[in-house]
Amino acid sequence: MIRKHTRRAVKAAFAISLGVAIVIGLFAAVLARPAHSAGPTIIIGTKNFPEEFILGQLYKQALEAKGFAVSYKENIGSTELTQSALTSGKINMYPEYTGVIVQVVFHRNKSGATAAATYKLAKQLLAPKGYTLLNPTPFFDTDVVVVTNATAKKYGLKSIADLKKVGNFKFGAFPECKTRNTCLVGYKKQYGITNVTFVPLAGISVYSLLDSGKIVAGDGFSTDPPLAKPSKYTVLADPKHVTGFQNVAPIVSTPIVKTLGAKFTSTVNAVSAKLTLPAILAMNKAVIVDKQSAASVAGKFLQANGLK
Amino acid sequence: MSGPGPVIPSFGQGSSCVTGDHLFCWDWVRQHWSDTLGPALVQHLELTFIAVAIGFALAFPLALLAHRFRLLEQPLGVVSALLYTIPSVALFQFLIPFTGLTTTTVEVALVAYTLVMLFPNIVAGLRSAPPDVLEAAHGMGLTSRQVLWSVELPLAVPAIIGGLRIAVVSTVAIATIAAFVLPEGLGYPIFLALKEPTPFKTEIYSAAFLAVALALCCDAVFVVLRRVLVPWARKGLA
Amino acid sequence: MTIADAANAHTFVEAIHFIGDNPGLLATKALEQLALSGAALLLAVAVALPLGVVLGHFHRGSNLAIGTSIVGRGLPSLALIAALLTVLGIGFVNNMVALAVLGTGPILTNSFDGVDRVDRDAVEAARGMGMTGSQILRRVELPLAVPLIFTGIRVSAVTILATAPIAAIAGGGGLGDIIVNQASYRLAGVVGASLCVMLLSAVVFLALAGIQVAVTPRPLRGSRVGGSPPRKEML
Repeated sequence: MIRKHTRRAVKAAFAISLGVAIVIGLFAAVLARPAHSAGPTIIIGTKNFPEEFILGQLYKQALEAKGFAVSYKENIGSTELTQSALTSGKINMYPEYTGVIVQVVFHRNKSGATAAATYKLAKQLLAPKGYTLLNPTPFFDTDVVVVTNATAKKYGLKSIADLKKVGNFKFGAFPECKTRNTCLVGYKKQYGITNVTFVPLAGISVYSLLDSGKIVAGDGFSTDPPLAKPSKYTVLADPKHVTGFQNVAPIVSTPIVKTLGAKFTSTVNAVSAKLTLPAILAMNKAVIVDKQSAASVAGKFLQANGLK
Repeated sequence: MSGPGPVIPSFGQGSSCVTGDHLFCWDWVRQHWSDTLGPALVQHLELTFIAVAIGFALAFPLALLAHRFRLLEQPLGVVSALLYTIPSVALFQFLIPFTGLTTTTVEVALVAYTLVMLFPNIVAGLRSAPPDVLEAAHGMGLTSRQVLWSVELPLAVPAIIGGLRIAVVSTVAIATIAAFVLPEGLGYPIFLALKEPTPFKTEIYSAAFLAVALALCCDAVFVVLRRVLVPWARKGLA
Repeated sequence: MTIADAANAHTFVEAIHFIGDNPGLLATKALEQLALSGAALLLAVAVALPLGVVLGHFHRGSNLAIGTSIVGRGLPSLALIAALLTVLGIGFVNNMVALAVLGTGPILTNSFDGVDRVDRDAVEAARGMGMTGSQILRRVELPLAVPLIFTGIRVSAVTILATAPIAAIAGGGGLGDIIVNQASYRLAGVVGASLCVMLLSAVVFLALAGIQVAVTPRPLRGSRVGGSPPRKEML
C-alpha cells in the first residue's frame, strides 16, 4: 500500500500545483486587460507587408516619444481585414494609401486626376463615416505589374497591354487585387487583359512565386527593393495610370483626434512630412534586404530627424 | 510645401551572408537575438505556460466531476474529439470578433486544445485504481472523499503528469500557428521570413530550432518531474 | 465602406450558405487536401509501420518509439513546412514531407506497442509449434496488433488532415487556401471551409475504421484494443 508520508506529499503537491495554476491563470487574465491610462489609448494597426510595418513603427514610436499611450497591432491582414478591425473598434488608426481608400474602400471607379485631388477625395469620403485623414506623405507606392526579365524577353512585354500576347496565364497578387479598380479589374477594363487565372498570395511573396515559376506575372509595389535597379524583374508600363495615386495618409477615428488634440495631429504630421521616396526606399531596403527589424529602422530614422 | 528633406541615417548594411541568402548567418542571429528571437521566445513561453495553467485549472475539476458522474464523460469526450479536428488556423480567426486582436484570443483557443488533451488523461488516471484496492479502502471505512484523496489521486499522478507532458509539448507546437493572427511567439519570425521576396533561411531555421528546443526542454522537465513525484512507477507507463 | 466581420450565431448560418453556394470550389479544394493528406499518410505509413513492427518484434528501441511520438507532437507544423520549403521549394512535395513527418509519431509508437505487447503466451505457443521468427510475425503478432496499429493510423490521419490547412501558405492548396484567405472569402468562408475539414476528418476516420474491420481476422473482431493485461506495478 502507498506509504502515509508519500500520500501526504502527493496531496500537498496537488493542492499546491492546482493553486498555482489558478493563481497564474487569474494573474494572466488580469494582465491581459489593457492598463488604464490618462486619455484614450491610440491603437495603431498595420496591413500585412513590411512597408506598413515600418510606417506603423514610425507613428507608434513618435507618439510614444511624445508621451501618448499607444497599443500596436502589427500585421492584421489585407485592406479588408484592417478596415474591419478599424470599423469594429479593434484599432483606431492605421496608415492607408489614398487611392486604395477611394477605389477599394469606397469602390469608386476612378481616383482623382492628381495626387492632391485623390487625397482630398479620400478625406471627404472618410469624414462622414467618422474618420479623419491626416496629412499625406510625399512618397507614393502604387501597384505595379511585374514579370521576370526572362518572361519579358520571351513575350516581348513592355507595358501591361502587351500581356494580351500571352496565352492564359497565372497572375499572383494579394487577394484585394482581384476586385480592385487599381488592379486586376482596372487591367481588364482599361487594357483588355482577360486571359488571367488569379492566384491569391497567402504568405509567400510574389517574387518567390515568380522565381519558382508558379506564376507568370505578379502584382508588386513600386517601392519594393527587388525592383531597385539592377533588377531581376521588369515592371510593365501603365500609361493609363490605372494604378492611381497612392500616397500614404493615416486614417484616425475622429473622436480620438478630437480628444487628443493638436499635439497628436502635429506629431503624426511631422513624421509623415519626412517620408520622402528616398527615405522609404532606404528603410524598405534596410528591412527587406538587410534584414533589420522594422522597429529598429523606424527608431533610427526618427532619432536622426529629431522626432524621437 | 514642407521644409528640408529628411536625414536618412545609415541603418547598418546587412552582412554579405544575409544579402547573399546563404544557408545560415550566425551574425544575424547574434545581432537580432535581443530584438527578434529573444522576445519571441519569451512570448512563446508565456503563451504556453498560461494556456497549460488555465487548461489544467479547468480540466482537473471537470475530470473530478466526470469521475463522479460517469454520464458526463461521454459528452465531454465527444466535445474533446470534435475540438481536435478544428484546424487551429481557423479557430484563431473565428475567435477574433469575440475577443479581439489580443493574447486572450490565442489563449482561449490554446486552453481549449489543452483541455482536450488533459481531460481524458486525468480521467483515465483517476480510473486506474485497481478495483480490489478500492474495495479494501472502502472496507477500511474510508469515505468517498478520503478514498479520492488518499488512493485515487495519488494513483492518478503518473497519468496526470503524462497528460501535462503531452499538453505542454503540443501547446508549444500549436502556439507557433498563433502568429497567423497575433504577432507574438516563435511563429511570427517564421511568417515574416516567409513573406520576404526570397524566404529568409536564417530566421526560419533559428525560430524553428528554438521552438523545437523549447518543446524538448519542456518534455525533459516532465520526465524529471515524474521521477521525483512518482518514484514507485516503472518506466513506460505514462 | 467595407462591412465589419462581426461574428455571432449568424456566422454559422452564413458559413452554411457559403458551403451551399460554392459546392464546386469546396469539392475541388477538398479533393486537393485529400490528395496531399493521403500522400503524406502513405509516406508516413511506409516509413513508420515497418520500422515499428520490426522493432516491436525484437522488443528493442522502446525509447525510440515513445520518444518519436512525443517529439512528433512537439514539432511545430509551421516550422517544419517553412524549413522544408527552403530546401524543397514551394508546392506539393515540401508540404507532403512536412505532414508525413508529423504523422509518423502515432504510427511508429502504435505499431511498436501493438507488436511488442502481443500476449507472450501466444508467441511461445507459436514458437513451440516450430514457426520461424518471420512466420510468427506475419501469422501471430501482426494480426493481433492490427487494432492498435490502425488506431495509430487513424490518429495520424486526423492529425494530418487538421494540420494540412496551414500548408496553404506554402502552396499546399486544399481547403487551407480558403481558411488562410479571410480577405477573399470572409469569415463565413473560413468557417465553412473549416466545417468541411471537420467533415472530411470524420469521413476518413470512419473509412479507416471500416478498413480496420475488414483487415482484422474474423475471430478477433469485436475484441478490445491491446494485448497483455495491465501491469500491476502500482502497488
